[in-house]
Order: sequence, then C-alpha cells, then structure tokens
Amino acid sequence: MSAAAAPSPAQARALLKAFMREARKFPNYNIREYVKRRAKEGFKECQSISDPAAAAAAFANGRAQLEVAKRQSVVYSLYAPRVKSIMDLKITETTL
Amino acid sequence: MQAALRSSAITVRNAFLQHLRLTVAATSHRVPILLDSRVSFSSDHGTYLDKSSVTDRILELVKKMEKVDPAKVTPQASFQGDLGLDSLDTVEVVMAIEEEFALEIPDAEADKISSCAEAIEYVAAHPRAK
Repeated sequence: MSAAAAPSPAQARALLKAFMREARKFPNYNIREYVKRRAKEGFKECQSISDPAAAAAAFANGRAQLEVAKRQSVVYSLYAPRVKSIMDLKITETTL
Repeated sequence: MQAALRSSAITVRNAFLQHLRLTVAATSHRVPILLDSRVSFSSDHGTYLDKSSVTDRILELVKKMEKVDPAKVTPQASFQGDLGLDSLDTVEVVMAIEEEFALEIPDAEADKISSCAEAIEYVAAHPRAK
C-alpha cells in the first residue's frame, strides 16, 4: 500500500463510532463490552501519534479490525447465548 | 354390460349432483375502517420529550462517564472545556446519548454537540427521542 495521507480527526471519530455501532450488535455481553473497551483503548493508544505515515498505518489497521469485528458479530449472532448475562438485566432495588 | 353399468352410474351421479345444494353463506368480511379517532398514527412521528426530563437524563448519563467528575456536571458544562473530556470521550458521550434515547445521530450533527446544553437542545428537538 502506498503511503496514505493521515486520517482527518472526523474520519478517526467516524471509525470509533463504527466500532461502537458494531459492538452493540454482539448478543453476548462479555464480547460486546470487550469490543467497546478494546476500541477505546486502541484509539487512546494511537492518540499521540504525530507521524502522518504511522497515523495512516494505524488507521488502516483499525479499518481491518473493524472488518474482523463485523464478521465476528455475524458469527456470534449465530451462536447467541440462550440466557442473558446478569449484567444485561436491569436490576433495580425494587426487583430485588 | 359394463358400458350399460357405467352409463347408468353417470346418470345417477348427474341426478344426484343436480339436487345437491351447498349452502354457501356469504360471510361478511368486515373491513376495519381506520377512521376511528382512537387510532392514531402519531407513533411514527413521536412526541417531543419534556426538556427537564431530557436534562436530568443527559446529566445522569454524563455523570456516569468514567473520566467525569460528577460534581462538575451542570446543564451548561462543555465536554472538552469544563469536564476535561477529549474528542474520543465526546464520541462516547454521543453514543451513550444515542443508546439512552434510542436515536441515531448522524455524524454531521454529532460533531456539533460539544456541551451538555447542545446535547439537551438536540434531544429535546428530536421528535423520535424516547
């Protein structure tokens, strides 16, 4: 791949948003929260990159990872857990 | 012999069918008339949420963000200036607002939301917010 231009802040934000949207599709609580957490982590790690080439590489890597997340959300939706995680239940004091 | 039998069988059958009457009752299919005033189509358009409840829900949600000091959250607080959030955290806040109010905020609109006041304004002006 030729040296791509560094992504604009708006593009980076859009990528993070795409990750969060994809994460919501995972039916399994643990994976869903992991994808969100990992996406945020990845963006924090790359926040200080100032070299345009390195930023472009990180952005390309992020897009590749998004594709992985998309495929995995399909696979995980085929094997959705039959029982919800307790973390998904809205438990208030009145239900207890 | 066989031919005679068959022809007599046919005449018997025809005679029988002539006298056979099937009563077909005309069932009235009542078409529901959608002029009933109770039937409203407003669910699609939604209603605007009360601004004070929107304010409460948004402030509650912002207070729950990891990096936010709950004491600093006011309806006027700006995300980056007053609450010390960066652009990535702002994306997170906007996504949390989307989830809370079952909205989909397009990127162009999301980029304009940079303070609690703007978020409250946007949600209160959004007809489909829940």
